[in-house]
Amino acid sequence: MFRTTDLVLIAVMVSAAAFTYTTKHAAEAELSKLRKLEAAIRFEEETIDVLKADWSLLTQPSRLQRLAETYQSELELVPVEPYQIADIDDLPIRPVEIEDFINENLGGMADSGIDATTTGGVVQ
Amino acid sequence: MIGRWRAKKEAEEQDSGSGRIVVDGIGKSTGGRARTRILITMAVFFAVYGVIAGRLTYLGFQDLEEGGPGPSRVTASRPDIVDRNGEVLATDINTASLYAEPRRIVDADEALEKLLTVLPDLNIEQTYNRLQSDAGFIWLRRQLSPRQQQAIMQLGIPGIGFRTEKRRFYPGGATASHIVGLVNVDNKGIAGMEKYIDDQGLADLQATGLAVAKDLEPVRLSIDLRVQHVVRDEIVRAMESYRALSAGAVVMDVRTGEVLAMASVPDFDPNNPYNAHDKDRLNRMSAGVYEMGSTIKSFTTAMALDSGKVTMESRFDATRPIVVGGRRIRDFHGKGRVLTVPEVFIYSSNIGSAKEADVVGIEGHREFLYRLGLLSRMDTELPEVARPTEPKVWKKVHSITAAFGHGFSTTPLQTAVGVSALVNGGYLMPPTFLIRNQDQAMASATKVVSDYTVDGMRYLYNLNAEKGSGKRGTVPGYRVGGKTGTAEKVVNGRYSNEKNFNAFVAVFPMDNPQYIVLTVIDEPKRENSTRSATAGVTAAPLASNIIRRSAAMLGVKPDFGHESSALLVSSQ
Repeated sequence: MFRTTDLVLIAVMVSAAAFTYTTKHAAEAELSKLRKLEAAIRFEEETIDVLKADWSLLTQPSRLQRLAETYQSELELVPVEPYQIADIDDLPIRPVEIEDFINENLGGMADSGIDATTTGGVVQ
Repeated sequence: MIGRWRAKKEAEEQDSGSGRIVVDGIGKSTGGRARTRILITMAVFFAVYGVIAGRLTYLGFQDLEEGGPGPSRVTASRPDIVDRNGEVLATDINTASLYAEPRRIVDADEALEKLLTVLPDLNIEQTYNRLQSDAGFIWLRRQLSPRQQQAIMQLGIPGIGFRTEKRRFYPGGATASHIVGLVNVDNKGIAGMEKYIDDQGLADLQATGLAVAKDLEPVRLSIDLRVQHVVRDEIVRAMESYRALSAGAVVMDVRTGEVLAMASVPDFDPNNPYNAHDKDRLNRMSAGVYEMGSTIKSFTTAMALDSGKVTMESRFDATRPIVVGGRRIRDFHGKGRVLTVPEVFIYSSNIGSAKEADVVGIEGHREFLYRLGLLSRMDTELPEVARPTEPKVWKKVHSITAAFGHGFSTTPLQTAVGVSALVNGGYLMPPTFLIRNQDQAMASATKVVSDYTVDGMRYLYNLNAEKGSGKRGTVPGYRVGGKTGTAEKVVNGRYSNEKNFNAFVAVFPMDNPQYIVLTVIDEPKRENSTRSATAGVTAAPLASNIIRRSAAMLGVKPDFGHESSALLVSSQ
């Protein structure tokens, strides 16, 4: 009848088949996941394209101008006039203000007049 | 049973036929009966498989019933077109189109009822009849929005489906229509930069199927969308307020030859270009030729200075009209005295200009106009470029009229290119609609006039804006210099003084010219009258408005420091 080697070989064969089957199954599952992801990426890319087109439609200068004109009473936006444009360098130097430290009150005892407490050192 | 019975019978026969030798073995006798059984079984199996094979062959020869959408129309991908700051001017968007396969629709009533919840404007009767029909494939609605597509999918109607189609979309609409151009239904460029891109090899890429949307780099134009909008907005207003036939303007960088904005109205909406090929909607700036009038005096003066025979101090007698070839050349703002070169320019003296041209001679005049590219076909990316016209044979009268811009026609864009050569240091560079830096521009440039001429022209433009006809073209702070041009249009072979073509060419800032603005208005009329208006009150204010609104975006710093800077550097 069966010898031990036969049994071992049969076991090896069965396990090999089982391994191949699970690997194939897992690979297929991964592939279908990949396909789903690819479809999702494609969808996102298309959405980005549409949103970009939408964005440029919403930020068209002609549209912004129309909006500014429509809401003129609320926004009060007017075009910039040339005299309103200047660099930091164009600004005159800020005049230096010298603060009067000498005559400043320091807020100490000397400002609040004569101390109410009399001590021996005070001439009566 | 039968076998056993036969075996019994044979055994009986054997017994009865005594002495008969038994040759056949037992196996043989039973085998003979088994053979017939096998044959019967085989016949049955052959019959069954034969029927199956026959049926398969029959089905194989049958034509399949028509179904599903027809062969896919290849809508080729195109690269995006963006402006110099990356703002989208043209892009591809995917749209879903709804189709139905009426043969597979179970209940047309129900399908239609459900569809009407999403697309309430479907024609009920027509759609119902089409759904009821036996057709294999019908379009229900092209180019749905993504939201509508989602809603229809959720209805779950059998027998309808979507097909993705690519469609070119221009977010700016008409803003840059003449520059960006158009595509046809197959997404092939048929006008403007779209056509240029196709001619550059995209068409071949698409033909070999290599044009994949992701690999296509956006094409960056030299256009600035903000300035482009300002230009178009202003010319639309000008055309309305002067009740003109058409208007146009171009803004160019004189240092690189890049066109920053160019528009011509009436124009068209590239998203719905039903009227794009109408005759009056052409791009007048590059595809229309006009007699540019007094703006050409810039070239006459530059030519006289460049010849070396005339200096800024030269004088020309403009007291009497010139009579040549049966025509009298008069001055519009006649001074009736001897004029210096700057005076000829700022009073726009026809007589003075004619005499300036006379100094150079007929051939020299023609050669100079060719040198500045005014008479040859312009070389640029846009396919819509007109060829200038000139007299077949140049005689003295032609040279004299050409001196003040009559008798030959050229495109406004070419005129702007020529003027930029006069102020940028004498370098003529072909205009471009693609990004170009100064080094690349200098590589393609040719020096056409001397530095002395350039200094003189800068001085003259500045002077004309301060004291001459260009006053209304100035903008405080931006040091604008310019020259007006009012040309009488030819009506029935004669110059009409009723119909004018107005132009104004402005350069700013004059102390270091960076940009040129050229505006044209065709047949403007004065306010509350049908009389024609001159360039000083139409084209010049138009240029002024464009500069005021766009100079800051172009990066020109306003400067109120030297408002009166008309100094002639070369004669100091």
